[in-house]
Amino acid sequence: MRGRLALVLVVVACAAVVVAYQATRTESVAADPRVFVPSPEVFLDLSPSFRTSVSDAYYLSMVQYFGEHVRGDQEFDSLPAMVDLVTELSPRFSKGYVFGSMALSDAGRPDLAYEVLQRGFEQFPDDYRFPAYLGFFVYRYGQGENKDEVAAQWYQKAAEIPGRPDYIPRLAATLFGKGGELEKSVAMWGQVYLAGDKYSQQRAVDELNAILPTEKDARIRALAPLASTMPVADLNSLLGELFEGYE
Amino acid sequence: MKQVGAIALNTFKETIRDRVLGIIVVFALIMIAGGLWLGSISLGEGGRMMKDFGLVAVTLFGLIVAVFVAAGLIHKEVEKRTVFVLFSKPVSRTAFIVGKFLGLCATMAIVMAGMAAFLFVLVWIVDGGFSGMLLLAVLLIYAQLLVIIAVTIFFSTLGSAILASVLGICVFVAGQLSHNVLSLSRLGQNAATEALSWVVYVIIPNLSAVDVKPAVVGEQVVAWSSVGVWLVYLGAYVVVCLGLAVAVFRRKEF
Amino acid sequence: MTQNAGCVRPPLLEVAGLRKTVKVGFRRRPVEILRGVDLEVHQNDVFGLLGPNGAGKTTTIKTVLGLMRPSAGSVRLGLPDLSRVGYLPENPYFYDYLSGREFLSFCGQLFGIDANVRRERVDRLLAEVGLEAAADKHLRKYSKGMLQRIGIAQALINDPELVLLDEPMTGLDPIGRREVKVIIQRLQERGKTVLFNSHILSDVHELCTRIAIIRGGTVVWQGTVPEAMAEAATLDDFFMRVIAS
Repeated sequence: MRGRLALVLVVVACAAVVVAYQATRTESVAADPRVFVPSPEVFLDLSPSFRTSVSDAYYLSMVQYFGEHVRGDQEFDSLPAMVDLVTELSPRFSKGYVFGSMALSDAGRPDLAYEVLQRGFEQFPDDYRFPAYLGFFVYRYGQGENKDEVAAQWYQKAAEIPGRPDYIPRLAATLFGKGGELEKSVAMWGQVYLAGDKYSQQRAVDELNAILPTEKDARIRALAPLASTMPVADLNSLLGELFEGYE
Repeated sequence: MKQVGAIALNTFKETIRDRVLGIIVVFALIMIAGGLWLGSISLGEGGRMMKDFGLVAVTLFGLIVAVFVAAGLIHKEVEKRTVFVLFSKPVSRTAFIVGKFLGLCATMAIVMAGMAAFLFVLVWIVDGGFSGMLLLAVLLIYAQLLVIIAVTIFFSTLGSAILASVLGICVFVAGQLSHNVLSLSRLGQNAATEALSWVVYVIIPNLSAVDVKPAVVGEQVVAWSSVGVWLVYLGAYVVVCLGLAVAVFRRKEF
Repeated sequence: MTQNAGCVRPPLLEVAGLRKTVKVGFRRRPVEILRGVDLEVHQNDVFGLLGPNGAGKTTTIKTVLGLMRPSAGSVRLGLPDLSRVGYLPENPYFYDYLSGREFLSFCGQLFGIDANVRRERVDRLLAEVGLEAAADKHLRKYSKGMLQRIGIAQALINDPELVLLDEPMTGLDPIGRREVKVIIQRLQERGKTVLFNSHILSDVHELCTRIAIIRGGTVVWQGTVPEAMAEAATLDDFFMRVIAS
């Protein structure tokens, strides 16, 4: 009886050690900015099944990596390699380009983001989103006086793609037009919000909050152009976030 | 033919009633369900992740079942001396090998159908639709595993069950890398290594010649004629393996 | 020393000069198990194959059945093929995931017996060996004696002309042994031929018409039971004398 009790106590004590070890480790997990990412050539020799699975595994890894570091130390050393790997192994995975470029721009590498989107557009010449995002990148990160015009040209290309939403030509018109910077920026960040993932949406809300007037009526006036450049449901969702705390 | 049917049915009963099989399938379902969690962290690509990793799970667990059950099929009969019951009757060695193979094929079909049905339900929940490409992918995985079963049965006639299962797994892996062997054969510095590589290339089953996973996740279109030809090739490969197994098994005494 | 009873019936089973060498162990050392076995089993014989352990009785039966190939000599079976032969192996082990009924039905299928005939025969044999109550239990739940009985039943599923039984009394209690003896006697009454190995000489004396004694891979004596009894008081004494000589 005593022997059995001792055995039970030993097992319970060991179980406690197991739980305690794991519980105390959650704080000290080092978010290493550098993750080992092999070059795509390593995998190109594999069968398509394996390439797809490796690409998907690294896609998930990339999403997690970005999420950890965007909240944490803002170090994204391995991100470019991950985006390259995902898009090379699965060149027909559109989300790889879209998320990858957004993440790279947040990581301070809009130049790489631009290249990724161009590669994506080569693979998906019939997807209006790619020239639309390229237009956004030129507008947001481009240098030089005619960046608006170059951005507008990208939107014009997007407008020529069959099946594109109606607001795309309106965006092109906005950028070609003589409207102010605020109007153009509001329109661009509205497009970023439309990308749909939580990071892009949060980024768009933050940027809009930074440039919009705080006074309610002025804010409403500044946001009015979005009515013609965003679907109603998405616009309502964005307005909900931008007017949080307002009466 | 009746004997083949009787042995196949007996093998089916033997393998499907094995409790270990049930445990493996439960683990497979857990792993497939894990695709749901992966989907939740994929920013809206849950359908793709579910299909991709679901197929990986189906392949992996299908392979485990195929190899370990096939390796033990003949070994068990010899060890437990039930071969005396069989071969004291007018049962040919060919009927025995073919019956064992067909019985395990039936069991594999049930196992694969169970895993696939579960995967389809989860994909339908996540993606809202039924994917014909996914069904094709599962059927082609099943075809690959039938080849591995035949190969493992052949190895099991030569030696121990453990060795047969290890070799079965090795052949599966090698079969996925078949085109690498072909590339190697073409890089050969001399005719001898080139010829040897080519022989190895022919002997190893080409399990990756037709790969529909990119089509399942929407990245490619399937070339149907190549699927048909590949299935004929796999069928012929199975016949050769079983023929070799019969040739070896005929020499055995009990 | 072999003695022929001078029967006019042609032998149903004739084994002549049978030799068998097996390779044993890691170094594949050749071991000669049978060194020239000569046997004649006639129609309707109840033939007892006697001998010490390791003499080659089981190997002889396996070679007759084709489970082993002879190294030399011949086996002539007066039947078209194994479809008319029944066999009970020594220390039988069957498919433990099948019930008794399923197992007998499976054996019947291997002989290509039609489903209706098979069903009737399975029921009859289960009754004959006293396993009706356990028919639907899995074989893994059978005792050794029950396994022996289902083994005899599967040896008879094809209504064989020649029945080979390797140690049929093993594991049976006196009631079971009595039942097996009755089965063997009934087989003889129906004109069947039975060959069995046994160590239990009283059973051999009771059942057999002819016997052969194997020692060291050869038949050292073959003849009728009365011929053996003419040379000793009991079959045990005769057996011991032949083995010792």
